[in-house]
Amino acid sequence: MNSIAMNDKMINTRGDMFWVLTAGAFCLVGLAGLLSYLIQGHDAYNIYRQIPWGILISTYVFFAVCCTGLCLVSSLGHVFGFKPFAGIGKRAIAMAIIALLSGFVAIGLELGRPLALIYNMLSPNLSAPIWWMGTLYSIYLVVLLVEFYLMVKGKHRYVGYASLAGFIGGVAANSNLGSVFGFLDARVWWHGPYLPVSIILTAAISGCAITILLFAHRYAREKMPADIERAMEITAQLFAMMLGILLFFHFWMVMTSIYGQVPSQRDAMMIMLNGPLSMSYWGFEVILGMLLPFVLLLLTKGKSLKVAVAASISTLIGFFFMRYNSVVAGQMVPLRDDVEAVGADGLLRYSPSLTELAIVIGTFGLCLALYFAANRVFDLDDRGHH
Amino acid sequence: MSENKKKRWVMVIDPRKCIDCKACDVACKRENGVEANGDRDTYRNWITSKGVEGTFPYLKQRFEPSQCQHCDNPPCVKVCPTTASRQTPEGLVEIDYKRCIVCAACILACPYDARYKSAQTKVIDKCTFCSHRIAKGKLPACVDTCPTKVRIFGDLNDPDSEVFRLLARHHYRVLQPEQGTKPSLFYIS
Repeated sequence: MNSIAMNDKMINTRGDMFWVLTAGAFCLVGLAGLLSYLIQGHDAYNIYRQIPWGILISTYVFFAVCCTGLCLVSSLGHVFGFKPFAGIGKRAIAMAIIALLSGFVAIGLELGRPLALIYNMLSPNLSAPIWWMGTLYSIYLVVLLVEFYLMVKGKHRYVGYASLAGFIGGVAANSNLGSVFGFLDARVWWHGPYLPVSIILTAAISGCAITILLFAHRYAREKMPADIERAMEITAQLFAMMLGILLFFHFWMVMTSIYGQVPSQRDAMMIMLNGPLSMSYWGFEVILGMLLPFVLLLLTKGKSLKVAVAASISTLIGFFFMRYNSVVAGQMVPLRDDVEAVGADGLLRYSPSLTELAIVIGTFGLCLALYFAANRVFDLDDRGHH
Repeated sequence: MSENKKKRWVMVIDPRKCIDCKACDVACKRENGVEANGDRDTYRNWITSKGVEGTFPYLKQRFEPSQCQHCDNPPCVKVCPTTASRQTPEGLVEIDYKRCIVCAACILACPYDARYKSAQTKVIDKCTFCSHRIAKGKLPACVDTCPTKVRIFGDLNDPDSEVFRLLARHHYRVLQPEQGTKPSLFYIS
């Protein structure tokens, strides 16, 4: 099959035109947000003294976690030798790069002075989790680019080494991202080993979900090759198994948070269980993010691609809210009694501003647009070398 | 005392003397050119009301002034990726504004809520113990202005200093000792 002709065909179908137009519209919304940020700076955001991390941080975490997850799923073929996964690597790595770039845009616009990042190199602080996270994700991006280059150039002999480096880099960068929260002793809700560990699990789940979506879209109008079909089935089964493990992890995290009645820890958990974030927690994080896809995948045992697609969409929406809930709930309990910003319930409040929302929409638009561009420029089908 | 001996700047606070006049807040803003412009989040020091105690007519109200604790084990310094937040040999925790990327990790790492993003400088800011005044042998502005002498400032390594004598004579506490931050603000209790 002529891949270029195939890609042209893919872009020119009505379904893809819808997605390309959606990506364009989202990018325009994002540009409006960017303009507002450039004019007003951080004043355009609803973050303040007591809640300095908002939706742009949680969006960055979402994309960074998706990036690592895609790399983990891709490594099943190139690193761990699962034969059916040999054909999914290139598309997954392309999307991993795109997700990371989209995440970098989100955090770049959250930082007050991104240009001062030069001091990350000039005066590094090796005890800072953010330094490690930034450095590891930057190295990781380079590794992913090299891996993708080798795949595109067909240098399959070296792809395995690059994939191994990507796997190690992904796990290191992602767990360090967890430690950015987990090392904050003053924030009892985040502090501890749970986040650095669980973030890897959620990364792998996100990777499974996006991989299913990418290949369901790729083969929406033609028959899926047998090895890809098998890879999708295994991905869906792994997806279900890991959701089960996550539900188990999550249950004990909730129990640990409320059992001891440790004030800040319990208060933050109650914000989600029965407080201002309860809708976002129960409706999106728990039901859409974990329970519904788990049940859907169990019922079909991963054999129905359509159901796996529904489960993937549900999980990704739920995980976006999971990141938001985690970031915001960790800051809503005030550190001092006399903070004036608290509401009647003694909690701090945050809701994203229009500028923040526009930038978030823009990052998703950018992600979609870059994927369609990559689809057009490169042959993302990985076949014929194993 | 040897002039070469390392200093350790600390502040001893006697909250029983605080009348909540907020002169410390005003003096700090004036001395350091901090323009709040009505923004309630812009302040380097503050006074917390600890509520009314006792039964009528024997009532009293307690206040607790606070600010950056200039911790000996500062969590804000640990988490700063660019070493914009750093500790001087005398124990002051200072910010090199040009290195600050405003990631806000230090704000979240500080258990005392002592840091904020300055609308003026566009970077993270906090109490400096008026290091520019200390360098000239003066007291921090909040100490200098306090009408009831709630705040006493000095070198804890100097046995002749008032802070040394106060801490030797009185019971005292630090805020949130469980955080392990080893603050340089001591509250007489």
